[in-house]
Amino acid sequence: MDLQYDSAHKILRETAERFLSEKYDFRTFRKTVDSDAGYSPDVWATFAEMGWLAMPFSEEDGGLGGGAVEVAILMECFGKNLVVEPYLASVVLGGGLIATLGTPAQKAELLGPLVEGKTKLAFAHDNRAPTKATLRGNDYVIAGAKAAVLSAPMADTLLVSATLTNGTTGVFVVPVTSSGLVLRPYRSVDGNRLADIELTDVFVPGPALLGGNGDATQAIAAVIDRAIAAMSSDAVGAMSAMVTQTIEYTKMRVQFGQPLSKFQLLAHRMVDMRVAEEEARASCLLATLSLDGPADRRTRAVSGAKAKIGRNSRFVAQQAIQTHGAIGTTEELPLGAFAKRCLAYEIMFGSTREHLRRYSAVIADPALASAGLLLEPASA
Amino acid sequence: MDLSLTQDDIKFRDEVRAFLKDAVPPDMKRSQALTTGFSSEPEVAAGFHKSLVKKGWSVPSWPRQYGGTEWTPVQSYIFDTECARAGAPIYNGAGQRMVGPVLLKYGTDAQKQKYLPGIVSGDDHWAQGYSEPGSGSDLASLKTRAISDGDDYIVNGQKIWTTFGHKSNRLFALVRTSTEGKRQEGISFILLEMNTPGITVRPIVGNGGDHEFNEVFFDNVRVPKSGRIGEENKGWEVAKYLLEFERGGALQAGRVRAQFTKLVKLVQARCPDDQAVISKLAELGTDLDAMEMIDISTLSALQSGANPGPVSSLLKLRWSQLRQDISELAVDAIGADALKFIPERPLFESLQLPPDEEEMLTQTPRYLNFRAYTILGGTSEIQTGILAKAMLGL
Repeated sequence: MDLQYDSAHKILRETAERFLSEKYDFRTFRKTVDSDAGYSPDVWATFAEMGWLAMPFSEEDGGLGGGAVEVAILMECFGKNLVVEPYLASVVLGGGLIATLGTPAQKAELLGPLVEGKTKLAFAHDNRAPTKATLRGNDYVIAGAKAAVLSAPMADTLLVSATLTNGTTGVFVVPVTSSGLVLRPYRSVDGNRLADIELTDVFVPGPALLGGNGDATQAIAAVIDRAIAAMSSDAVGAMSAMVTQTIEYTKMRVQFGQPLSKFQLLAHRMVDMRVAEEEARASCLLATLSLDGPADRRTRAVSGAKAKIGRNSRFVAQQAIQTHGAIGTTEELPLGAFAKRCLAYEIMFGSTREHLRRYSAVIADPALASAGLLLEPASA
Repeated sequence: MDLSLTQDDIKFRDEVRAFLKDAVPPDMKRSQALTTGFSSEPEVAAGFHKSLVKKGWSVPSWPRQYGGTEWTPVQSYIFDTECARAGAPIYNGAGQRMVGPVLLKYGTDAQKQKYLPGIVSGDDHWAQGYSEPGSGSDLASLKTRAISDGDDYIVNGQKIWTTFGHKSNRLFALVRTSTEGKRQEGISFILLEMNTPGITVRPIVGNGGDHEFNEVFFDNVRVPKSGRIGEENKGWEVAKYLLEFERGGALQAGRVRAQFTKLVKLVQARCPDDQAVISKLAELGTDLDAMEMIDISTLSALQSGANPGPVSSLLKLRWSQLRQDISELAVDAIGADALKFIPERPLFESLQLPPDEEEMLTQTPRYLNFRAYTILGGTSEIQTGILAKAMLGL
């Protein structure tokens, strides 16, 4: 058991924090959100230069061989600085699916440009209408509709999940320029870009099916859990920023002849906020460290984190707004953007309630409910 | 970074499990399961303590020369967790975890020789004399007076909330030895024999029906100065050192996990279709997982020699809340069965029912008694105030 960040972790965090605090302030965030592209190509290029786009991929796939912890460190920094570049969609979800499912040839073809910042991916998974893929000659024909696909408007390539004729699920590599593909882009409450997608007889060649004929259901679930863990780190970063900004604000804001921070009620409220953040951080770390472990442990940790952080981030956001007073309810301060980011966190990839249900189901097994979090060496 | 135990840890855990299999026989386990107060009845704990002494594990956190084991933080954690899983009694807390560390740090050689062996063997039962009727959270306002008289102090006053004062033979107490200057600078830390003439103990029965707390009255009680720990008027420093152990010294995950596991089974047996209860149960599970991770992170910091930060107040604040929340949901889960109240204690003597019916009768007393968790050892408000300074810099 070791929960200490090593020196490489610390350097990664310092580097990311330094870069973002210098180059990615609140004005940058607003400008980026309001831009046509919805992200900054320059910033994305810098992410590539820093090696962040290569972070989670193995060295043989052209990556840096980092793991969930490295991704978590980056995501926490992204959350703290309101980064809207499509790291989660492109690297964690898109790259994650290719790394998990792809053949060596597919990995070579798709991960290289991703890591270099030349292409961006999005994962079209949640069905708006049933999505099916039928083999016709050497091609697959995909038809159906997808909802709220994260970062699809800025993606070059979509990874589309579809039911195959044999009833299993496959993931297809679909260029956004494909004929029959219609994107309806819109903004997410947190400044990200989403799209609803319609697929009307979209033809893709046989090799567009990731990894061949195996059922991708388990792999998809694992990659989504990975994305939830990563997004949880983002939410923890956002919570941390809100707590810190609230403390700073109450030290400056004078009412009744003294700074707000001198009022015991507010001081104690801010302790509750910081404690909620610390619990969220702990819960997130559990999810991060459980991604490669046994499936029931992973579900417990990831859904537990999603539910816990959903609840705690809502508490922190609401208390931060209340403590700021009227200004907290506006778009003027970063606080408003952090609160919206946390709201989006709660909704994406299953609500707090859904994950609480998923968590309930696994801890109904008394063996799991009674098991502490430390693991046997064999199952680690 | 990882959550895996090492092979050595597993070997140690298996040794602890093997030990507990013999040291916690079924009747002892039942007695502990039917304990609705905070600590086990000393009679129940005594049998377990004997087994610990035989194994050399009765004061594990102490240095080896005084009978300790010098386990690593992880080993201590495994031991505590396994004890909780096995339903072992909670033994000798005030001796091993409170006055023991104080003696080890501040005691003279003569004091160590006199007092430590009785804690190791379990022959001595210690009680804590801190709070007074007028001095709860504001402990430094305490008034129990110790007036110098040659080699002795003459003590007059009153202590309250003295856990197991009626079953202890020794007491450590804070007394006022000076009324000059700052109030913290007129306090001394002294050790007393409970059978000294002039000491009277009056029971206070908790709202859940358990007699754990007492009032202790001092009427011209003569206490040798050789029983003073540290210098005269320097007792506040000693008291604060001890409070660290009381609040954060023991990580709680094992006990709360055991409490939670029982609740999971209770809900499955009593209201498996009640979505409101199940949803709350899951929330508590996620709270528990988060707190256990904070425990383990603290452990990891200790293990690697890093400073875990001002975490003891955070742990006290949240673990106490969680224990209350679990006891509360247990009462919600059993419906009208929560009305039935058996006033006789201990329950392991007064009850003779099937195990699940017996367990049902513990829920309401436990819920009522556990209201004290967020008050004793520094209230949640005090802990929050400490955290506002230490964690937020306010």
